Amino acid sequence: MKPEQIEVYRTIAAGAGVLATIGLLSVLYKENKFYRVFEHIFLGLAAGWSAVAVWTESLREIWWDKLTGVVETTGAVTEPGRWAYILLVPIGAMGYMVFSRKHNWMAKIPMGILLGIWSGLQIQSFWTVYGPQMKQGMLPIIPTSFDKFIVRSDAPPELAAVTITWSQAISNFLFVFTLLSVLSYFLFSFEVKNRALKNFNVAGRYLLMIGFGAIFGSTVMMRFSLVIDRMYFIWDEFLMKRILHMG
Amino acid sequence: MKKGGIPKFVIYALLIACCSIPLFFKIPIPNKPSDPSVDFYKTLSALKEGDVVLLGSDWTGSTRGESKGHMKAILRTLMRKNVKFVIWSSADPQSPRAALDVIAEVNAERVANKEEKFQRWTQWVSAGFYPNADVAINAVAQDVRTAFGSRRENDTNGVQQQIFKSPVMQKIKSVTDFDLVIDVTASKTTDFHVQFISAKNVPLMFAVTGVMVPETQVFYNSNQIKGFIGGLKGVFDMEQMMEKGINVKDANGKIAVASDKISGEIAPLPGVSVGQGTKYYPTLHVALLLMIIMIGIGNYEMISARKRQKGNG
Repeated sequence: MKPEQIEVYRTIAAGAGVLATIGLLSVLYKENKFYRVFEHIFLGLAAGWSAVAVWTESLREIWWDKLTGVVETTGAVTEPGRWAYILLVPIGAMGYMVFSRKHNWMAKIPMGILLGIWSGLQIQSFWTVYGPQMKQGMLPIIPTSFDKFIVRSDAPPELAAVTITWSQAISNFLFVFTLLSVLSYFLFSFEVKNRALKNFNVAGRYLLMIGFGAIFGSTVMMRFSLVIDRMYFIWDEFLMKRILHMG
Repeated sequence: MKKGGIPKFVIYALLIACCSIPLFFKIPIPNKPSDPSVDFYKTLSALKEGDVVLLGSDWTGSTRGESKGHMKAILRTLMRKNVKFVIWSSADPQSPRAALDVIAEVNAERVANKEEKFQRWTQWVSAGFYPNADVAINAVAQDVRTAFGSRRENDTNGVQQQIFKSPVMQKIKSVTDFDLVIDVTASKTTDFHVQFISAKNVPLMFAVTGVMVPETQVFYNSNQIKGFIGGLKGVFDMEQMMEKGINVKDANGKIAVASDKISGEIAPLPGVSVGQGTKYYPTLHVALLLMIIMIGIGNYEMISARKRQKGNG
C-alpha cells in the first residue's frame, strides 16, 4: 500500500475516533440515540478485541504451542508438544456448569482452585506489603539536629538515618498522630467513654475525611485530564494535523 | 436544568472551551517536581547503556490522557540512554497494543530527529499479555524464564525465536537480573508488583494515574518503591526534568527546575522532551479554575435560593 493511501486510512480512522468521542461525550448533555449507537459499537469492539487479544497475546503461546509443540519452518522441532496441557480444558469448562441446575456443583472446582491459589498468594504476600509499612510507621518524633531544618535524601545513609531535623520531626509527628487517631477511629469492639480518647477518635475521623478529599481531588484532576486529552485529539491530532495539515 | 441557574449547555460549552483553548498557547507554569518524581527521574538517570528494564504496560485508551504521557517520557529516556527493555502486560488485553503504539510513535519521532530507530529484537522485545495479573506477576517474580519461556518473536532474519535468544534477554536468568522494573499502570497491578517483585529486592517504580497517587505514596514512603510519577503532574514533572535537568543553572545562572531532594544536579536529557504534559498541565489549571468558579456560583445560588424560600415561608 502506498504511503498516501495509508495516510488516507489513518485520517478516516481518526475521523471515526472523533465521531465516537463526540457520541460518547454527548450523554453528558442528555441521554440520546447517538450516544447509544457509539456505546454499543464500543462494547462490541472491546469484547471482540479482547477475545482476539487473549488468543494471540496469551493463550496461543502459553497454552496451545505448549500443547501442540513448535515446529520451525525448516522442519526442526524446537519444542515438543506436552499432551497434559489438554487437561486444563475440562477444568476451565467446568466453570460454565454454573448455568446447569443439575451440574452446577462442578463450577465450584475451578473456583476452588482459583481461591486456593489466591489464598496461598495472600499468605505469602501479606508481610511483603505490610511489613515495611508497619516498620516505616514507627517514626522518631524528637529532633536530633537543630542546625538544619531539612536533610537531603542523598546525604550519606549513616548520617541520614540518625539525623532527625525539625522539619522531619514535625512531619513524623503529624504522621504518627494521624496513624494512631485513624486506628483509634476503628475501635468498634468497645464503647469509648474517655473524653480524651473520644476527641482523639473524632480527630481520626476528620483526618480520614481530609484523606478522602485528597483522593477525590486527584480523581477530579484525572477526569479533567481525560477530557483534555480528548479535546487535544479532536482539535490538534485530527483537525490541525490531519485535515488542515498544520503543525 | 434548575430554574434561574446557568443553562447546562453553557456550562458544557465553557468546559469544552477551557479544556481546548489553552492547548494552543504556551502558558508557563512554575513547577517544583514532587519528591517521588525526582526520585523517579534520578533512578532512570542512573541507568547505564546496556542495562535491561522490565516495563509493564497496564493501561489502555481510557487513561491515555495520563498514562500515554508517562509511557512516552519513560520510553524516550530509555531509548536515549540506550537501555534495553522488555514490554509486558497483565491488566488488560488492550494494554500491549497501547504500548506498541507509543513505541512506534517515539521511534517515528527519533527517525524525524535523525536518531536511530530503536530495534525490536535487538533492543527491545514484547513478552505479550498474561491474564490474571496477580498470578502472572507472581510467576514472573518466581521464575521469569518459565513465565516468558514460550514467548516468541521474529529475529533480525525474520525467523521466529524464543525471546530469551534475543540480545535483550541474554543476561536474564531471574527477575533479579533486571536492572529496574517499571509499571505504567491504571490498575491494581501496583499492589501485585509490591507483593511479589519488591520481595525479590529488585528496584521498582510506578507511573500511576492521578486517582492512584495517594495509595502509591504509601509504597514510596515505606521505601517499597524507588519513586513514582502520578497523574498529569507526573508527566509534567518528567518533561521538565528531562528538558532542564534538576538543579541545573541556565545561562543566566537561574535554576529552572529546583529540588531540595538532592544536593547535586542531574543533567537534562538531550533531545526534545516536552509534549503532552507541557500542553495539558496549564489547560488543567484553567479547567480547575472553571470548576472552582462554578462551585462558587453554585453555592451562591443555593444560599440565595434558601434565603428566598425563607422569605416566602
